Amino acid sequence: MSIAHEFEYARPASLKEALGLLARPVQGGAVPLAGGTDLVAWLRDGAVSPGRLVDLKGLEELRGIRLKGGRLWIGANTPFAEIIESSLVRRHAPTLAEAAGMVASVGVRNRATVGGNICSAVPCCDSGPALLVHEAAIHVATRRGTKSIPAGKWFLGPRRTALAKGGIVLGMSLPLSRHAGAFAKLKRYRGEDLAQASVAVRVDARGVWRVAYGSVAPTPIRGPKVERLLRGEKKPSAALLKKAAVLAEAEVAPITDIRSSQAYRRLMVGVMLKRAVRLAVARAAGRGPAYGINILEEDAK
Amino acid sequence: MSKTNIVGTSSVRVDGLAKVTGAAQYVDDLDFGPGLLHAVVVESTRAHARLKKVDVSAAEKAPGVVRVVTGKDFPYKFGLYMQDRYIFAQDRVRFVGEQIAAVIAETPEAALRAAKLVKIDYEPLPAVLSLADALKKDAVILHPDLGSYQRVPWFFPRAGTNIAHWRKTRKGSVEKGFKQADFILEDTYTVPRYAHCPIEPHAVTGFFDLSGRLTLWASSQSPFAQRNVMATALKPFGLSHRDIRIVTPYVGGGFGGKAGVSMEIIAAVLAIAMKGRPVKLNWTREQEFMNTSQRQGVIARVKMGVKKNGRIVALEHTLHWDAGASAEYGANVVNAVGLSATGPYSVPNVKIDSVCVYTNMPPCGAYRGFGYSEFHFGLESHMTRVAKAIGMDPVKFRRLNAIREGDTLAYGAHMNPGDLRGAIDRVAREIRWGKAQKSEKPGRAIGKAVACFWKAPAMPPNASSAAFLKFNEDGSLNLTVSGMEIGQGFLTVMAQVAAEVLTVPVEKIRVETPDTDRNPYEWQTVGSHVTWSCGNAVRAAAEEVKARLLSTVARARHLKAEDLYLDAESVKSRKDKKFVLPFRDFVIDGIMRPNGNFIGGPIQGTGMFMPEFTSALGDPETSQGGHPNVHYTVGCAGIVVEVDKETGKLSVLKATLAVDAGKAINPELVKGQIVGGLVQGLATALYEDIRYAPNGRLLNPNFTDYKIPTALDCPAEIVPIILETTQPDGPFGARGVGEHTMVACAPMVADAIDDAVGVRLKTMPLTAEKVALALNGIEYDDVKGDNLGFCFRGRPCDYPFEVGGAR
Repeated sequence: MSIAHEFEYARPASLKEALGLLARPVQGGAVPLAGGTDLVAWLRDGAVSPGRLVDLKGLEELRGIRLKGGRLWIGANTPFAEIIESSLVRRHAPTLAEAAGMVASVGVRNRATVGGNICSAVPCCDSGPALLVHEAAIHVATRRGTKSIPAGKWFLGPRRTALAKGGIVLGMSLPLSRHAGAFAKLKRYRGEDLAQASVAVRVDARGVWRVAYGSVAPTPIRGPKVERLLRGEKKPSAALLKKAAVLAEAEVAPITDIRSSQAYRRLMVGVMLKRAVRLAVARAAGRGPAYGINILEEDAK
Repeated sequence: MSKTNIVGTSSVRVDGLAKVTGAAQYVDDLDFGPGLLHAVVVESTRAHARLKKVDVSAAEKAPGVVRVVTGKDFPYKFGLYMQDRYIFAQDRVRFVGEQIAAVIAETPEAALRAAKLVKIDYEPLPAVLSLADALKKDAVILHPDLGSYQRVPWFFPRAGTNIAHWRKTRKGSVEKGFKQADFILEDTYTVPRYAHCPIEPHAVTGFFDLSGRLTLWASSQSPFAQRNVMATALKPFGLSHRDIRIVTPYVGGGFGGKAGVSMEIIAAVLAIAMKGRPVKLNWTREQEFMNTSQRQGVIARVKMGVKKNGRIVALEHTLHWDAGASAEYGANVVNAVGLSATGPYSVPNVKIDSVCVYTNMPPCGAYRGFGYSEFHFGLESHMTRVAKAIGMDPVKFRRLNAIREGDTLAYGAHMNPGDLRGAIDRVAREIRWGKAQKSEKPGRAIGKAVACFWKAPAMPPNASSAAFLKFNEDGSLNLTVSGMEIGQGFLTVMAQVAAEVLTVPVEKIRVETPDTDRNPYEWQTVGSHVTWSCGNAVRAAAEEVKARLLSTVARARHLKAEDLYLDAESVKSRKDKKFVLPFRDFVIDGIMRPNGNFIGGPIQGTGMFMPEFTSALGDPETSQGGHPNVHYTVGCAGIVVEVDKETGKLSVLKATLAVDAGKAINPELVKGQIVGGLVQGLATALYEDIRYAPNGRLLNPNFTDYKIPTALDCPAEIVPIILETTQPDGPFGARGVGEHTMVACAPMVADAIDDAVGVRLKTMPLTAEKVALALNGIEYDDVKGDNLGFCFRGRPCDYPFEVGGAR
């Protein structure tokens, strides 16, 4: 594989240096590099042509998974494989772990980072719906300081985020609370695939539901109408679920592309919502299959 | 057949250890030293345009660039069966991705950068991106000179149209047949294009040395066919066959895509342009999709008439193929189908029209199955539907009409041996046909299906094979052949054939991939014919060696050759139980007489095989009178699927396939072909889904959006079944099985889906999406959008078939 485009490569040792390298003018601009599973492919295809790659893999600030200030903190440089393996994530954000397990393939998951995933911000990004239902905060650093941006305000459009130019995602934090959830991903086959559509759900002890969808809008989106309908329902009836599915189909805005027709995406959002809710209910009750399955392909193993 | 010791056993693959340890070398692994140059090809971004200007001045000045070549430097055509393909585009481009120029540079990066500097001025021409447009009266013509193109005598292009070939087969009278019929079913089926997706993309390094000798190291299925095509096309450079050498190391998958010549000829002329320095041309994955060959798309109309008793009395099969911008190979796929589109059934009245149509899409060619997968989709779907419509069990219906040895084929020749009914019975038993199964999971339904298949090698009537076999001092042997090991186990099987005749262990025979200078002739490794054809050549070579062994010993020891025989790497005597002369004692140095003279010398043998009973000279209007196919291999496949009624997703609970191999020289390798063919076939049936934009641009030349199966996608259970009805002219009774194993996949999946959930899909691939939409009452055609996998965009049922039509 050859990359025709020439660029500078820098691997800063400190956050300050990294921010400086991103800010320093260069023809074509400077872009951060994490796992590179998107960026290197885009470089090869000529889809991007930055003048400088600033490799963030050496930055201590972007590493690790820990409990911090009553929240679960996940460093931006965490590869999906570590998210799947982390006992902290599996305990406090199992839905995110479930989604992480469906990202691409084993090889890519060993390399691709969760920070990179939300910065690439493609509509089918698997971590998006999971972070949305967790109401995660995205912590970013710029030369002016650090701030946090709610996941709900992070995704602005396909490949567009609220990250200011020259900024770096440090990590994300998720509130801790008892809950159950599920992530469902529609794929064209059982191997690695980008989601044709995805649904994440989360329900807490009071029956408050959070719902999010992927690949059915320009960005991952929340499902407020379904959330309102299900509010307080710890065990929604079949009739209510049916209603919820109809509502879900109406509150998404999918397109037809080579991965799926709009019609199929819409239908499957309803199906996945019903199944994800049922699964979350079962998990909340201590039943149901452990996290880490794709409910659309239960018999895959 | 007499008893065999090595043939019929599952010898360990001779190439296995090298491959699993990484020792096996592929073209890109070969080291050509620091003088190696790298080439990048500049491609058309238009489906159809006149080339007004190709400005290479900026590219030539770019750092690291050695030379830029264009169509002006090499204004030549080439092609395997018809010369309709250009080494570089000349006055016009005919598909997105067509090669216009090439940059040769010191590094791949320099070549890539400079390639972007080539400026191309296009004058747009209307692109022919639908079959209807290609065939209409005032169609834009892709090849105005079609009438003057060199071609094989069995192609019938229509000059002044976009029809590259039209194979007509007529048997009996379909008019009369349909009159006799109690029931007639007619419908349209569509199959999009598919891509081969070998793990190793095409790669060639070419070297035109200072003496004017051209050597190509190529990832290829066809070294000799390549040499021949190149010698023909490159004659203007004074090159003849003896000046061109093709070396083919191991190949990382071919599936037909590395048969014939596609990009290899570009590497050849780049090497000629850079005399004295080797030039490497590696295709990217995108180019592998866009500019090698694809499987042709087809829209097919099947009209079948049957009696109440289940006998098929008439079949009209009309197929319009989207061949793309070149039909130099694809037209022979069309031809093969035009002869065989009855499927493995005895049909008294037949009318087949198989029409090869040029379009402004990438060129198509050979793909495992060579058109048979495509036409079986419609035909076998139809078989099940017709059976159900007349209230007959689909298995019984197939059994009743199954072709038998001696039956008259559609073109008048007679059917070879093969136990199709045995295969049907075995498969039906394996999937417990007739026993309905209920899913234990809510919302899911189980469906079963069987589908029959047949296939013949599609080859020129005089395609041949040859083998050299020579002994070494220690009694080991070198076997040279020019069939390609493309994963199927060819080298192992050839070693087994020689080992059987010579009573030598397989491990003592070294057999490697070809070099056209050193190895004997082989037409191509295609058509599932090398076990049969090259196996016969190897057997002949081994018999010659055997005769020399016996005569040498007889002469030296004053024995009668007829009293001698081979056993355990030795010559033994029937007359004298104690007489044993090990090969290693004499196969090079001969046998010493008491007086000190030596008798003998290096023992070696040659063998060749050409089927001498074939002929391509059938009547163009009916195909009667020739004998175009050497034999058919028949079989049957069965499947049990579980369908999720909400998502449309399908799980294969069991797949089974019975094939009549004649003789399985290596049963494990035959089973490997069955498993591999089923997995590949199921992928094309279920989710491989190529997409083109309405402007003819391929949208998914990558594995992000073109999905080939992973380990997770293999059926839960695969049961391979081998039948052995001797092929009289095959080595030890063997016939080919390689391609056949994917042919039945699509129709059996379509039938199983129908059986499970009552949805009849007539457009491949049979995706979960199509099933779910149908179950929700949504017409796929209403929501499918504009980006489709085929040169056809409307509703299949509206396609008029105005040419050769059944309507």
